[in-house]
Amino acid sequence: MVNSSTSQDSHTDPALIHINDLGFSYNQGKTETIKGVSLNCPEKQVTAFIGPSGCGKSTLLRCINRMNDLVETSKITRGSISIMGQDINAPDVDAIELRKQVGMVFQKYNPFPKSIYENVAYGLRIQGIKNKSSLDEAVERALKGAALWDEVKDRLKESALGLSGGQQQRLCIARTTAVRPKVILMDEPCSALDPIATAKVEELITDLRRDFTIVIVTHSMQQASRISDNTAFFYLGELVEYGATDKIFSNPSVQQTEDYISGRFG
Amino acid sequence: MQTGGHILNDFNLALKSFKEKTVNIGCLAQQNLESSLQGLFDRNTELCNKVIADDEDVDQLEISIDEDGVMIMSKYRPFASDLRVVVASMKITNIIERISDHAVSIAKRSRKLIRTPELPEVSLIEPIFRHANNMLTNALTAYADGNQELAMEVIAADPELNKLHKKATKQLTKCLEGEAEAHKAYLHLVFISRWLERVGDLAVNIAEDVVYMETATDIRHGGELPE
Repeated sequence: MVNSSTSQDSHTDPALIHINDLGFSYNQGKTETIKGVSLNCPEKQVTAFIGPSGCGKSTLLRCINRMNDLVETSKITRGSISIMGQDINAPDVDAIELRKQVGMVFQKYNPFPKSIYENVAYGLRIQGIKNKSSLDEAVERALKGAALWDEVKDRLKESALGLSGGQQQRLCIARTTAVRPKVILMDEPCSALDPIATAKVEELITDLRRDFTIVIVTHSMQQASRISDNTAFFYLGELVEYGATDKIFSNPSVQQTEDYISGRFG
Repeated sequence: MQTGGHILNDFNLALKSFKEKTVNIGCLAQQNLESSLQGLFDRNTELCNKVIADDEDVDQLEISIDEDGVMIMSKYRPFASDLRVVVASMKITNIIERISDHAVSIAKRSRKLIRTPELPEVSLIEPIFRHANNMLTNALTAYADGNQELAMEVIAADPELNKLHKKATKQLTKCLEGEAEAHKAYLHLVFISRWLERVGDLAVNIAEDVVYMETATDIRHGGELPE
């Protein structure tokens, strides 16, 4: 993604994503939805964003892969986001190239109206991979990585839309991982799933952290405490507290964090 | 530490009731302890019998508190200070139940002592009882008020109790060199002193759990509070 002479060596810095005093506006800077947020997401760890509705966590998530660029009046008002040392909003950074390295899984699973196989192979095909055995191998690897292979290996040619909701979401995760991004963003990936499907996706996230840096937005405090290594609590566009998940949920430093996670407001 | 109540009023009520029950079991156990010693000092067998009977209430309350704790954890999934309150309270309840068991043991020994001629050495037990009971009062108050400073005072008071117990045991052991008839009675007193020293240890355990509840720091086994 980032073939820039200004890239820092990520091996000396455990954080893959640096968010530095970031400000963001949906209305050309008139008001800020994100107000001066600074935090680092460590490599190959799961960072959870929590906070009440409207606090800016999904907005911040979408800043990391510049999905907010699709909103005409949106604007980074201050600060920066760097991934592997590269400012992702630099003029020479192509947002499409960025999104190959920063994949995203959405709240509502959205497989393509194609076969299971093609859903996973699609991203590889548009990268120029044509060789069938390479594609087969990559598809199998991605589906195994998403804990879906055993369930679909005998029907790869069937429509993805015939899968259950939980399977479709895991297929979307497989589709994302197939192109081997550096980062996977997940915006409430389980909120449309039943408890068993949720558990399977959580188990998957726990496995995926071995290979990917994951940032997840979730409304479920229990989920954040179960699967994340670090948690950031947001309120009204500001970062209130950020730290190791164990600490945030057992003994937060800020009273507001304690009040939110214990259900005293939200 | 906490600002205002939970959004879910049921959660508020459940936690409140849970804490109140824990305070109650503490009061019951302490009452039993006081009655067992009063029975000894006043040579009152009925009071000792009451302690033995009332221990059943403590046992049942312990079970009820544990059930409530599990219900709160499964239903409300508490975090941070709420979780510490539930976990610490369940541990403290278990400790309190053991204190009540010691009260029963003291009552049983006291009953036997009452059937024998009065021993002046019973007075050796009084300062040990006063000190241990004071530690227990402070530990229970520290829990009820969330007072970690008071909890630390309880912990600091333990060495003095150990000294009192050691002194009494030494004197009672000397008495065992005397008439064989009174040996059993002196042994009862040695045991009573030992159980009171254990009550002090258990009060320390309660205090440690209070410190954990308030500060999220485990000071057991040499742990220290962060500066």
